[in-house]
Amino acid sequence: MRNTETAVSLCVQPIIAKRVLAALSAVLTLAMAMLPSQAQQSAPAATSDSSAGLHGKLLQVPVTTLAPGGTNPRPTIKTPPLDDPAAAQRGMQAFNALNCVGCHMANGGGGMGPALSNNFFIYGGEPENIYLSIAQGRPNGMPVWGSMLPDPVIWDLVAYITSISKAPTPQWGTTVSASSPQIQQVPAEDQQTASPWDNTESFTKGQKPD
Amino acid sequence: MKDDRQWPMAAKNYANTRYSSLDQINAGNVGQLKLAWSFSVGPARGQEAAPLAVNGTVFVVAPYDGPNPNQVFALDAVTGDLKWSYAPKPNIAAKGVACCDVVNRGLAYDNGKIFLNTLDDYSVAIDANTGKELWHTKLGDINQGETVTMAPIVVKGKVLVGNSGGEMGVRGWLTAVDETSGKIAWRAYSTGPDSEVLIGDDFNPHYGWLKGKDLGVKSWPPDKWQIGGAGVWGWISYDPDLNLIYYGTANPGAWNHEARPGDNLWSSSLFARDPDTGMAKWAYAVGPHDLWDYDEINENILLDLPINNQTRKVLVHPGRNGFMYVIDRATGEVLSADPFDTVNTIKSIDLKTGRPVLNDELTPKLGKTVKDVCPASPGAKDWQPAAWSPRTKLLYVPHQHICMNFQTSEVGYIAGTPYVGATVDMFAGPGGHRGEFMAWDPVARKKVWSITENFPVWTGALVTAGDLAFYGTMDRWFKAVDAKTGQVLWQFRAPSGFVGQPTTFIGNDGVQYVAMMSGVGGWPGVVANAEIDPRVRNGALGFTGAMQDLPAQTVGGNSLLVFALPKTQGAATQPNQTNPGASNQGNAPTGQSNHAQ
Repeated sequence: MRNTETAVSLCVQPIIAKRVLAALSAVLTLAMAMLPSQAQQSAPAATSDSSAGLHGKLLQVPVTTLAPGGTNPRPTIKTPPLDDPAAAQRGMQAFNALNCVGCHMANGGGGMGPALSNNFFIYGGEPENIYLSIAQGRPNGMPVWGSMLPDPVIWDLVAYITSISKAPTPQWGTTVSASSPQIQQVPAEDQQTASPWDNTESFTKGQKPD
Repeated sequence: MKDDRQWPMAAKNYANTRYSSLDQINAGNVGQLKLAWSFSVGPARGQEAAPLAVNGTVFVVAPYDGPNPNQVFALDAVTGDLKWSYAPKPNIAAKGVACCDVVNRGLAYDNGKIFLNTLDDYSVAIDANTGKELWHTKLGDINQGETVTMAPIVVKGKVLVGNSGGEMGVRGWLTAVDETSGKIAWRAYSTGPDSEVLIGDDFNPHYGWLKGKDLGVKSWPPDKWQIGGAGVWGWISYDPDLNLIYYGTANPGAWNHEARPGDNLWSSSLFARDPDTGMAKWAYAVGPHDLWDYDEINENILLDLPINNQTRKVLVHPGRNGFMYVIDRATGEVLSADPFDTVNTIKSIDLKTGRPVLNDELTPKLGKTVKDVCPASPGAKDWQPAAWSPRTKLLYVPHQHICMNFQTSEVGYIAGTPYVGATVDMFAGPGGHRGEFMAWDPVARKKVWSITENFPVWTGALVTAGDLAFYGTMDRWFKAVDAKTGQVLWQFRAPSGFVGQPTTFIGNDGVQYVAMMSGVGGWPGVVANAEIDPRVRNGALGFTGAMQDLPAQTVGGNSLLVFALPKTQGAATQPNQTNPGASNQGNAPTGQSNHAQ
């Protein structure tokens, strides 16, 4: 029975691998389709010809706010423009196509992976932190995407995540009670947008929304 | 092991009744039940595990998080003294492919050994006396999206283990591991050719449409069976007389059904197999071409019931689809199937064919939102197992009462990432409550009594010869109710909400104990124990929508709670008033002092 088992896995693996390649090529086609518009809209400094320098600087990006000896090691990073609605829109497509949505859920509400809908990021919320979390993966379950995705796609994802994380912050901390929170997003089945916090409604406490 | 002093497997016995003949604690005295001791297992994630008890030792396993994921603890049932602990070597990346909290549903005991399944796909044998590792065997691969969350069960020297990952495009399997050597004896896939599903000449399903060669391939678009889900993460029962094991398989992947035309066998199906060889005897597809993520991994409780003046060997399967199935366990014939909660997705079960008669108006179409679908994806009842009392002849069923809006989308398969293709938004069902604990008469085919709960009842049930039924609520109440009437006789406010499985046993002092893990989580509970935004209804595969007010009631927890009646006379376990230093041996209630957040 175990011999059968081995034979099975041997014949299955190439087919699975082929499927991954098919999915990947679809994704990369999507990515390539994005590239020209990215190049038109992005500052030349942020495109691939300077990526070696950018990558060198990214290596210096800290993932903590603790800095011994009072140093400030955070380098100045020139990222592609992240407040570009077109970049966020492309990022939303990539977020859904690459199955980011399967873990972080529609509008980044969180599930298998943490919420991206609020302003809190475990591994740092600066654009370069988010870039690195995607590219390198993170030990508690975030897969490594840097070997699969071209840089511009990752930066589009950063633009989208930055956009969806703009939850209203009425106060510094978070109060949870019978009367708080007071609002929720209009759910994703009713709005397809890279700015879901623009449309909110009353918090429904587990009941059916109106 | 028919000795009711013990609780050797999560479901108590091979019939999966979760019934104990112990009656020291009964309807007359349960009002005095007190916390005897408690213990923190560490990670404050969903505590779905059943505490086992064998020869006066309690065995429990922690969720997969913190410095020692899936750590196992052995404690004295009377004193709570920690005898040993065992932590498997961790691979914390496994957390990234676990769909619905990093839970573990419990251990199994057999022949002096404790058996553990880890989230990162190992099966481990541990010496029950010493905690020493005897063997560990890798059964799956997290980079294929596979995890293991189910409690193992040991049948005739074989440890039976299945995989989770219906949301990750896994290919489901059940594997038998030799309990002595740790070597794989057989593996039965849920999809694919008969040779790998272990379907041979002996296979004889009751319904004609389930007969034919390689239906696990032919009922899928080309190759889709390889990523078709149908994991095995629920319960296994065993009938020694028929020499058959019974279990259900999970939903097909992706959730977007238009990606997989066909009956998608053998997803959302029940199997009867020979435990020696793994060969299938019969199968029944509860949900051919599932539309809604209705896994059918729920328990199959083996009973001999009088049906039409004849004693029938049946299995009772409280379906995720909201129907209570009574099935001839020798043949796989459905004898009855009746709705036990609000159901609008299925009109009825056709007993001639066994197929559900669907409400076609609700069939999802790509990009279109289908509204008010009942039950929602977790079904009218999920994994949380029911209990059966031979005294009251009633089934005690914990379940949920939620509906949803559902929208499918295109999805591509990338190994080790989710393969879902649906945006889901759940909410309370009609009436506004989200859970129920009910007593069901499977012969009369009707509900006898029920208790509605604000949140889904996500714990297992326990019923005893003291005519008490036990369950817990997600808003932190552990309850004992009169098994005949449903009257609440006792309740305990706990550190965190309940999603576990209550058990009962006798300690070495001859006293009956009741044990239960406190720590909210699981699919409905992650919104309260993990970084999930309650303001985004579609989170947690849509369960956030129905659970968004849970964080106002509880946060995650990690406490094993062990209850007993107060001692009436001086016993060795009484707190020593003259020597406070020895009082850690005591049974005085420790309240919530062990609860670390």
